[in-house]
Amino acid sequence: MLSKKLAIEVLNKMLETGADYSEIFFEDSIGTGITIENGKVSTSSTGITSGVGLRILKENRCVYGYTSDLTKKGLMSLADSLNKSFNGERILTVDHLDLIKAPNRNPIKKSYKTLTQEEKIALIREGTNAIEELKDPRIVRYIGSFGSNYRFVAVYNSKGKWFKKETEFARLAYSVVVADETGMETGFEGPGCQDDISYFRNKVKPRESALKAVDTALLMLSAKECPSGKMPVVIGNGWGGVLFHEACGHPLEASAVSRGLSCFAGKEGEMIASPIVTAVDDSTIPNAWGSIDIDDEGNLGTKRVLIKDGKLVNFMIDDFNGRRMGKEGNGSCRRQNYKYCPTSRMSNTYIDNGKSNPEDIIKATKLGLYAVSFNGGSVDPTTGEFNFGCSEAYIIRDGKIAEPVKGATLIGKGEDILKKIDMVGNDLALAQGMCGAASGSIRTNVGQPTIRVSEILVGGRGGELK
Amino acid sequence: MKFDRFFELAKKAGIEEAEFTFSSTSSLSFSLFHGEIDSYSNNKSYSFYARGIYKGKMGSIASDVYNNKMAEYFVEQIIANASVVENDDPVFIFKGSKKYRKINTFNRQLGNIPVEKKIEIAKQIEKELKNADPRIVEVATVAYDETSNSTTIINTHGLKLSQKSNFFAYYGSAVAKEKEQTKTGFELYFGNDFEKFVPTDLVKAIAKETVSQLGGFPCESSTYKAVLAPSVVSSLMSAYISSAIAEDVQKNSSLFIGKLGQKVASKKVTVEDLPINKTVFAKSFDDEGVATSNRAIIKNGVLQTYLYNLTTAAKDGVESTGNGVTSGSKVYTAPTYLKMKPGKKSQEELFKEIGNGVYITDVSGLHAGLNSRTGNFSLQSTGFLIKDGKIDHPLDIITVSGNLVKLFNSVSYVGNDSKEFMSGTNCPSVIVSKLVVSGK
Repeated sequence: MLSKKLAIEVLNKMLETGADYSEIFFEDSIGTGITIENGKVSTSSTGITSGVGLRILKENRCVYGYTSDLTKKGLMSLADSLNKSFNGERILTVDHLDLIKAPNRNPIKKSYKTLTQEEKIALIREGTNAIEELKDPRIVRYIGSFGSNYRFVAVYNSKGKWFKKETEFARLAYSVVVADETGMETGFEGPGCQDDISYFRNKVKPRESALKAVDTALLMLSAKECPSGKMPVVIGNGWGGVLFHEACGHPLEASAVSRGLSCFAGKEGEMIASPIVTAVDDSTIPNAWGSIDIDDEGNLGTKRVLIKDGKLVNFMIDDFNGRRMGKEGNGSCRRQNYKYCPTSRMSNTYIDNGKSNPEDIIKATKLGLYAVSFNGGSVDPTTGEFNFGCSEAYIIRDGKIAEPVKGATLIGKGEDILKKIDMVGNDLALAQGMCGAASGSIRTNVGQPTIRVSEILVGGRGGELK
Repeated sequence: MKFDRFFELAKKAGIEEAEFTFSSTSSLSFSLFHGEIDSYSNNKSYSFYARGIYKGKMGSIASDVYNNKMAEYFVEQIIANASVVENDDPVFIFKGSKKYRKINTFNRQLGNIPVEKKIEIAKQIEKELKNADPRIVEVATVAYDETSNSTTIINTHGLKLSQKSNFFAYYGSAVAKEKEQTKTGFELYFGNDFEKFVPTDLVKAIAKETVSQLGGFPCESSTYKAVLAPSVVSSLMSAYISSAIAEDVQKNSSLFIGKLGQKVASKKVTVEDLPINKTVFAKSFDDEGVATSNRAIIKNGVLQTYLYNLTTAAKDGVESTGNGVTSGSKVYTAPTYLKMKPGKKSQEELFKEIGNGVYITDVSGLHAGLNSRTGNFSLQSTGFLIKDGKIDHPLDIITVSGNLVKLFNSVSYVGNDSKEFMSGTNCPSVIVSKLVVSGK
């Protein structure tokens, strides 16, 4: 951490040439990871991320630099090189720094730093032992891993504010490879939280996660190739929400909206989705994977309704991109670490509960696809074009879940899909992911109840759906 | 930097062999929006990576900061991490290769060119791009990136190796609109010889990429003969070649198990790993300090070798191919610069050759839609319908699907239009006889 005196000096150095905002982001984080492969601990490692990122703003221009040289000389020389981007007179001087008090909605009772290697290994083994006990010859390789992180950040800015924040988070992951004479498939489960290890004992069970990864892989091994063409698609709860995250969440970030580079730019107040859709980004859910108490600009985390009954009402906004939109930041400014210039990002983003029972949604579908889970996907926020690969999917026949299918890809445009959602379930669930964008890879929850889209183009190798 | 204190403490603590890798990276980047620099960044960072063998097992620590006071912590962490390892994989701190090829791809001139000139060129690109086509309604960004890196490996066997590299990239993206349709296009130029860069060529490439997809509509879902553009071949080939990684073969999770010396692609396909060729990706040693060398991975369709690091090589009783990549305490394996040997036909001749079919120019969503262990893929794509040997119309919202093994075995022609990509690949267009396309 920097002394207030040094922070003020560096902030003022940045303001020397006429900038209207300066900011110091200090980080000192430590992460550890252990991997068990085919029953034996294969690697254990430690990583330290430590450095400072300096940001200077003037109107719509942003200058950013980082260094891991934390000496006064190192910081002042970086500040000096960055302020060269502007050539005006000083308009602002910082003379004090007041502490911003943020709530602590993500308390950790027992720090991961106090856990022994043995405790972490025992946790992973609950799952890997369960896989071993299956003695299924089709399982050719299985890996369990546990990664935990302690992150300390302190931010100082020219508004005369500063804060510090400690965060701890962890993720348990299982991946398996199964094979038989027909081929090879993979399965993955990776629950994570901003909570202590009790989460992995009480809320999720390592054994269940590990066996779920095996089940998915084996199911896909026996699955037929997915048929292709346009069809109704029922998308499962939890991980199914990655589709909304990619196709609609990213285009609702101020980084795209403020430059008019989003398919939803200028559509505030308009109906952009079916009236049964309400979508939310909520960074205040206690101990959730994507939650933040305070963002990198010192704005407190908030719950933002993005789409209310189909109408676009809000965006994820950071102060800098907000300048172009004439809006204040709403607690969305995030980054992976000090090496990234921060920008507007999602936290826990989900489609809210609707009225239908998930069973009724399946029942109401004569012929279509039930996409339970995805490997991931991507989107072009300007056009809204997206693609998703299904990791678990079934054909729905006469209102019943029929045969499993593999190799299904859903593609389309976010704008179209939102309007084509014709049923929303009441079984909202969240799932943990890592989201990669301009400011790096950050923790985000995706989520939704079971929903149905009346028509999506499905790509697959199985010919026409009959 | 000196790491004597670390080596001293490591020895005292019973770490049998130890190694320190120190790298320093400087970077400069900026981007333009509406004629002004909207972001500018100038960075200097370090990475300190230490590992050691304790009671026969490898432990490691990586950090952005290091000083003599931290030496003790580094040693403690190596021991703590090594102590829990159970598997019996052989681990190595390398004594050194007989010979290291000198590689001189670091361009001193690049850092001397004034930033103002680099910005001026970006502004010129933005201006030209805006006027390149009336359908271009916005230039989303024009940006510049420059990175220079130096790495030194020192270990207790007296090995001391250093190498330096640098490169720059200009890239831009534009938005085009026609009727109700919006399309974006992106292109990138990279290299480390500033003199060779022709801004106007980049402008043309971005503009072409942006407007060429306008007016597209899906084709009928069917199986087509296809020409795959270099970028598509690059993505699919990288995924296919990852099957040659020895660790996956040894752990029964590769498509190339038992395929050494056998046919894994059509005889038109030759793929080489060329780490010592003069490219910005060149390196004379890998992360373990093993000398790199050029080699064919697939020659005329036949698999020539697997890719090894020291550990997987020892298990197979062969020498490392110099493809070790460290991450945490583990050493992974990856090719350095993959080149598919070009053929003789031009792109036009390839279109004529297929007569009727599709030309696929881009595939996206590889991390979700492609499984390199099974070879199955189903990917969002863009491209054109080919009719009577000529481009007919752009294809909007289509997916292509297939299996990498079948696809590379069905390559009937290889083009002469090779292109180099930032992923460290160099590929031409190819013709494949069967590609499943989902559209209407």
